Amino acid sequence: MHPAILLVAVLLASAPGRAAEVLPIFDAHLHYSHDAWDPVPPERAVAILRQAGLRRAMISSSDDEGTQKLHALAPDLVIPVLRPYRKRTDVSTWVRDESVLTYLAERLAKYRYAAIGEFHVYGADADLPVVRGMVRMAKDRGLFLHLHGDAEAVERVFRQDPEARILWAHSGFDRPDNVRAMLERHPRLWCDLAFRTDHASGGRVDPVWRALFLAHPGRFMVGTDTFVPERWHYIVEHASWSRAWLEDLPREVAERIAWRNGDALFGDALRRD
Amino acid sequence: MRRVAAVLSALLALAMAEPRAAELLDFSAAEIARILRHGPWPQPFAADPGNRVSGNRDAVALGRALFFETRLAPDRTLSCATCHEPALAWSDGRPRSQGRVALTRNAPSLLDVRLKRWFGWDGGHDTLWSMSLRPIVDPKEIGGSAYGIADLLRGDPTLSACYARAFGRGADGIEAEALAVDAAKALAAFQETLDSPRTPFDGFRDALGRGDVEAAARLPVAAQRGTRLFVGRGNCAVCHLGPAFTNGEFHDIGIPYFTPGGDDGGRHEGIKTLRESRLTLLGPWNDDPARATGAATRHVDPQHRNFGEFRVPSLRNAARTAPYMHNGSLATLRDVIRHYSDFDPERLHGDGEAILTPLKLDDAEIDDLAAFLDSLSSEIPGPDLSAGARCG
Repeated sequence: MHPAILLVAVLLASAPGRAAEVLPIFDAHLHYSHDAWDPVPPERAVAILRQAGLRRAMISSSDDEGTQKLHALAPDLVIPVLRPYRKRTDVSTWVRDESVLTYLAERLAKYRYAAIGEFHVYGADADLPVVRGMVRMAKDRGLFLHLHGDAEAVERVFRQDPEARILWAHSGFDRPDNVRAMLERHPRLWCDLAFRTDHASGGRVDPVWRALFLAHPGRFMVGTDTFVPERWHYIVEHASWSRAWLEDLPREVAERIAWRNGDALFGDALRRD
Repeated sequence: MRRVAAVLSALLALAMAEPRAAELLDFSAAEIARILRHGPWPQPFAADPGNRVSGNRDAVALGRALFFETRLAPDRTLSCATCHEPALAWSDGRPRSQGRVALTRNAPSLLDVRLKRWFGWDGGHDTLWSMSLRPIVDPKEIGGSAYGIADLLRGDPTLSACYARAFGRGADGIEAEALAVDAAKALAAFQETLDSPRTPFDGFRDALGRGDVEAAARLPVAAQRGTRLFVGRGNCAVCHLGPAFTNGEFHDIGIPYFTPGGDDGGRHEGIKTLRESRLTLLGPWNDDPARATGAATRHVDPQHRNFGEFRVPSLRNAARTAPYMHNGSLATLRDVIRHYSDFDPERLHGDGEAILTPLKLDDAEIDDLAAFLDSLSSEIPGPDLSAGARCG
């Protein structure tokens, strides 16, 4: 065979056709908390992330040592996010625990993060002193806030700092029309779709959500939410599930939601390392 | 003096004892209405439209024979009864069953199995007959095959005759898959007869319904208090509802679900199993041409929350089916109650099982709930092995 023909044949064989491509995934919602470390050791956890074809993984943990363990093993993959919890049970007490601010300050002085979160806050609790202090810390350092709460909490944080950048965990588990209204009211609000299935079923995107994704393709990200350690074994499945419904969107929109939005917003946290 | 002390001691004991058996708590009309929802018992038999031999006496006899048949296993050491022993309320008493290998789930009781909508801890089957076939052909459980079942039905004169009576045709000339499905339908017909008897609770419930105070008061007062807790503050009846004390669905109650080398995805895996199977209400072996009962199977779709969910078990005869949970991780009913009292709510997603909060029960309340659960049990009769009930 003529070398040129052989070269063309090899190139054709290796050209990534769309059907053969595996869409990279930026997983914006993972935790590696204290009770995961033994059943899913760090090396195994990183192997799962790579097996799932994740391009990047935003990880926060209770306490932060879990995040640091994974970041040390896979700095190219893990984007550290600082959670204001030292153990998972802090979720229901942290907003009134002033020692949280000391803990955050110590960690922020020691390590680099892309965001503070995921933290849980609802309604007027968002104006409690501990939450206000945390919002100020994020402002001082230019960090995102990964907020799990209702629309009222989001509004209150934006009133504290109109320049805040918020990643709204689970899109607030709110209805798509409310999510749309929040996105249109707050240009510095982004949404993750973790632990939601109402936007897609059987690889098909719900029409109302489709319209929202097409209207705001730069505002959404996917995420698994490993809220118990067992769910680390769901990351691969979740990535496949995400690829299936993203395939139902125009390619450019799918890529933005799958990974480009996450890379554009949080990639700096890796590049500065 | 000693005699006086004895009398005083007896009087003191009487004063400290439980209220007399004849006492009936002052149940409100709303409480009585909630209690009445847990009956009547037994529930009337309704033939399974997807199984043409459901309720057929000859099929029941064939199913009974196959249930105890070790020749279904390649090494003739295992049968359905290995993990579902009649003397153990049709479970096996182990935390996790032992098939050809160590398994990862607890063997559920087969009592009242005909009332279920989904079968198995993960609901991977939508018919009792397809559920019955799975362990026979699963290499980790009995490890048999459709061919082995077919050979048995064709080659054993007694079983062959029994098959012919039940299905109205001989086994010869029928392909192996069809014979295996028929065998599973006979097994289902047999298991549909495993009704649990009435219990002390049923007598109490019916007496309350007809206003018979004296009869209702026969339920021990601790069990009455437990009943009140169950339908009241405990909110137990939200999931353990109806005459069979189950909603038949799947929930995450904070029980860890790691397995050696991985984890048990529960309902999420079950839905995938269901959707990939030919042996469902939507498949070719459903005997109901109208597919009248297949709507749920048609629409079920795995959700993220399904990962780690397991079926809500019936509470009838729970006292006889220890240990508990999908992995047998809780040894006693008191351990189960303590779990609901003290579980870690952070194991549940904040937007998932919002109805579950730790009950924070004191010891007396735990005792009362245990007494209530005990009142849901009764003596389980063994299988009918009379000549008329057998194949031969």
